[in-house]
Amino acid sequence: MNNGGPKFSRSFHLSGALLIIGLCIEAISLNWIHPIAFLAFFVLSGAFLAVGILLYLYSIIFRPSPTNPPPR
Amino acid sequence: MPGPAAILFYLLGTTIVLLVVLLVRGSLTATPAGKILAFLAFCALPILCGFWGLNEHLERSKQTAFCLSCHIMEPYGRSLYADDPMYIPAAHFQNHRIPAEEACYTCHTDYAMYGTIRVKLHGLRHIFVQYFGTPMNPIHLYDPYNNRECLHCHAGARSFENATHLALLDQIKANQLSCVSSGCHGAIHNAVSIGTVKLWRPQE
Repeated sequence: MNNGGPKFSRSFHLSGALLIIGLCIEAISLNWIHPIAFLAFFVLSGAFLAVGILLYLYSIIFRPSPTNPPPR
Repeated sequence: MPGPAAILFYLLGTTIVLLVVLLVRGSLTATPAGKILAFLAFCALPILCGFWGLNEHLERSKQTAFCLSCHIMEPYGRSLYADDPMYIPAAHFQNHRIPAEEACYTCHTDYAMYGTIRVKLHGLRHIFVQYFGTPMNPIHLYDPYNNRECLHCHAGARSFENATHLALLDQIKANQLSCVSSGCHGAIHNAVSIGTVKLWRPQE
């Protein structure tokens, strides 16, 4: 992701890492039938996924466009 | 054909692989197709995985094994194997009058609107008390057992239509007389004394 500046690239990578961690926690929690597994999924995985998705959306919404001229 | 859980695992794996590929080869997202792929991997698929996972966890939380995974529920689980037909939960569980895999949920859910959600919120309260508070000893229901849960299956059943039930039907429906009253069907889990009761051992 090299077309939106270093700040965009950093939030893009952070978002991806958070999502991967969240999905891994979800996969692990689904292998265990126990209330703690449900809590781990709901609290940890939910938080990682939510923050990851919001960070991605934030980074694409506020991404500096290389094609637009700078405002005068 | 793979079940929903297996498909969810494939989906989780696919999403993780897509994310790794897009993180390693960031230049892929420079094209319009790459942007759509990134949106799928970073937004649409994780949302789908999250809600599917929540549904899967809620379904699993209905399982008898889930309820009995807490130490405090052990005697209640053992009471399902009481070798005595007077034990109402045991008679239901052993004769498959209720699904054996969802025995606790079937009788302890709330057969009313949003009942499942209410029961699951109670479940979260159980977890909170178990790990951050002091569980009641002996544990008991938050509210008296509602006859509605029994009548959900038994109302209209031929075995239910006997003189005693019909004579008391109004009181039973109004919850003025509990089905699990002493003298009616009072032998329920009796967790405190379950250690002294002979247990049934399934052949399989």
